[in-house]
Amino acid sequence: MSRDHEQYEENVGAYLLGALPELEAEVFERHLDSCGSCRRELEQLRVASEALPRAVEPVVPPPELKESLMKTVWAEAAQREEAQPKRRWLRPFLERLPRLTPAIAAAAAVCVLAIGVGLGIGLSQIGGGNSKTLTALVDHSVAPSGAASLHVPGDRKNALLTVQGLPAPGAGRVYEVWVQRGGTMQPAGALFSVGTGGSGSAGIPGSLKGVEAVAVTAEHDGGALKPTQMPVLTVKLS
Amino acid sequence: MKQTKDLTRLADEELMHVAQGGDPHAFELLYDRHGGAAFSLAYRMVGTRAVAEDIVQEAFLSIWRSKVRYERERASVRTWVLGIVHHRTIDALRRNLVHERRRASAEGIEERLGARELTDVEAVRREEAREVRAALSTLPGEQSRVIELAYYGGFTHTQIAEMLDMPVGTVKGRMRLGLEKMRREMTGATA
Repeated sequence: MSRDHEQYEENVGAYLLGALPELEAEVFERHLDSCGSCRRELEQLRVASEALPRAVEPVVPPPELKESLMKTVWAEAAQREEAQPKRRWLRPFLERLPRLTPAIAAAAAVCVLAIGVGLGIGLSQIGGGNSKTLTALVDHSVAPSGAASLHVPGDRKNALLTVQGLPAPGAGRVYEVWVQRGGTMQPAGALFSVGTGGSGSAGIPGSLKGVEAVAVTAEHDGGALKPTQMPVLTVKLS
Repeated sequence: MKQTKDLTRLADEELMHVAQGGDPHAFELLYDRHGGAAFSLAYRMVGTRAVAEDIVQEAFLSIWRSKVRYERERASVRTWVLGIVHHRTIDALRRNLVHERRRASAEGIEERLGARELTDVEAVRREEAREVRAALSTLPGEQSRVIELAYYGGFTHTQIAEMLDMPVGTVKGRMRLGLEKMRREMTGATA
């Protein structure tokens, strides 16, 4: 417990309710970084504060709201498309290919496992340009029924890691994703836990260009700057 | 439309990943799943449809433009979306110095969901709403009042202290005790 804990502990409820002015909220957040007691209380009381929006009487939003929102979204999607033009002669062909979605990626991973390829590095390309789904090497001494796959989009940005059969990371711990560049492990900026059946997933922000491997370790809440455990799974990219 | 059918099978977390990767279909489904709750919260807080619409539109556009990234380990998609809407609504309320708003009275009542319109999902959410309201109703009046003024009214602890003519420390203490009591009611915890 930090020395200034008593000065701040009364702020927990006000912070969760959004009742602290911006500056006070920032100061309290800095205190949270160094005060485990306040962090624990915050996580406990979050159950109540996060339930408050669910007590609101439901009101139907006007259809014009969705129309206006989607008009902007489609316009911006078209602009993004124009910024990354495909070769015109390829476009009709590409648009007929099935789109790669995480569901398809997950299904592909399950199929790979079903034929007994739980270990080793697998590569399956399932349409959608250069998108790839890579099967992970899982440490079965830690996760006997574990399996994982990494979906890498064609532009190598915003990859999605999907896991199954992983044990819970333990109290006060999370799974942290790492990327290996030049032989050095760096935080990928993605933490995740697992639900029923040990399943979970984590989006990896940014690009995987230059990344040799993606790995996952169990770390303390909030993650670590360097891996402190052996990887529970690894995906080789090169 | 096959593509949309495939997306409808995705859990919120996967759908959010696809949407923030730039897929408008996935984003539209996310809005369909959570836009109603987002609008209901904003409308409850500001009391006018036009302001609530602006807030929800800006909140969802910030998600689409990936100005805020979803982190699944922190909260469910619904909780995360509603948190963004709550923050934006508080910002909107605090920018308005007069703090003027019309509470949902005659306006909009006819648009509240009626029993005949309830889908199964909505029925579950109504049940959840009843449970949360029940937990709120167990609080002493002075605790529920400060919680409602803060969360739904967007008032700061100092504004609430002035309104209720009590020390700021008392307001903060009641917020904390009220949330703790709600938590115990909702989780069945004994301490």
